[in-house]
Amino acid sequence: MSVRHSLLAILADQPTHGYGLKSTFERSTAGAWPLNVGQVYTTLARLQRDGLVEPEPAASPVGDAAATVDDRDTGRQTWRITASGREALSTWFDEPIVADPPPRDELAIKVLLAVAAEHVDVTDILHRQRTATMERLQQLTHHKHKADPDRELPWLLLLDALVLKTQAELEWIERCEQRLREQRAARERRQPGSES
Amino acid sequence: MSAPIIRFENVSRTYEHAGQTVRALGPIDLEIGAGEFVAIMGPSGSGKSTLLSLAGALDVPTVGRVTVDGNDLQGLSRKQLAQLRRQTIGYVFQELNLLPGLTVVENVALPLELDGERLAPARKVASEALEAVGMAGFASRFPDDLSGGEQQRVAIARAFVGPRRLLLADEPTGALDSVTGERAMRLLRDQCDAGRTAVIVTHDSAHAAWADRVLFLRDGELAPEPEPVGGRP
Repeated sequence: MSVRHSLLAILADQPTHGYGLKSTFERSTAGAWPLNVGQVYTTLARLQRDGLVEPEPAASPVGDAAATVDDRDTGRQTWRITASGREALSTWFDEPIVADPPPRDELAIKVLLAVAAEHVDVTDILHRQRTATMERLQQLTHHKHKADPDRELPWLLLLDALVLKTQAELEWIERCEQRLREQRAARERRQPGSES
Repeated sequence: MSAPIIRFENVSRTYEHAGQTVRALGPIDLEIGAGEFVAIMGPSGSGKSTLLSLAGALDVPTVGRVTVDGNDLQGLSRKQLAQLRRQTIGYVFQELNLLPGLTVVENVALPLELDGERLAPARKVASEALEAVGMAGFASRFPDDLSGGEQQRVAIARAFVGPRRLLLADEPTGALDSVTGERAMRLLRDQCDAGRTAVIVTHDSAHAAWADRVLFLRDGELAPEPEPVGGRP
């Protein structure tokens, strides 16, 4: 997840202070990725260093610089996006996300290593994983059943995404089982009577 | 689990083919409680449809005992089996088998009329069943005037009409797009939450996930089920 671009997206709508960024982000993404406020400030500092955001001048009678520092400490400093920030954001929205190399997938790694290992029962691993993944899919579906499509659109869209990913995992497990069965059958044909 | 509406005890179903005995299902033990929503998954030829036919009293086991709503299928005559099917069980097939010459309400009332109910009360009960699936406004339309999703809702209403409280469905969402298919699953979920029982065969895990329990069949046998964790609220 890109916290940088997420903050830019919110600031592009309107100038916001640190805590507001945190709560708007969490509301828009159905609370799926909690942000801690420290992470927000660290990211804002980097965005400022790169010229993508700037503190909004305070409407305080005290000097601008002093107000900026004070208010940042109390979380009331309001930030706004710069022209370069808008450009960076627009590039982010325009470019499709392509994960190459694929993100690390612990299940895939576990199964591939189990297939390579002599002493591990892959079928058993796959069976237990399918049960667990199906339960996860049932939980997600239960949330979908309870969600209000009018008031909870971000939550429903997120659930749809998670359901489809979980479904893909189930299909992959099914595919693994099928390929392993075919491989066993082919070995059997080559060496009749041998179990492995 | 509540009292089982379907019980399989050491059930096998075999067929004779070219002088050989082919096992389509079993041995399996299974209980499905009243009010449960159960999905059956498994590759082609794993015995899903055989299991559904036995649960629906469309077939009898070669070995073992199948009990549906307290009736041991082995002990029933053909006539009694037919009566059990009409009064207790509704079926939804991929081809929904709605009669094109009858209106929607006539289609839903048909099982009741076949069972000897008079026209007016049968229509009244059918209208209630249509209302339960959100199709009350379509009663006097003909099936061909409805979309696939609407026809499906009518088929579900027919399956649950009157005293029928067990719905069996074989790939009921096969011909529907994913959003419409999901709506049908939501409807079945609501019906089961209201005390009806549904058993569906599906290849679509997203649809199976609407069920309370998902059973996997492989080579005629059920994969061991996990211990229930918490369960549905």
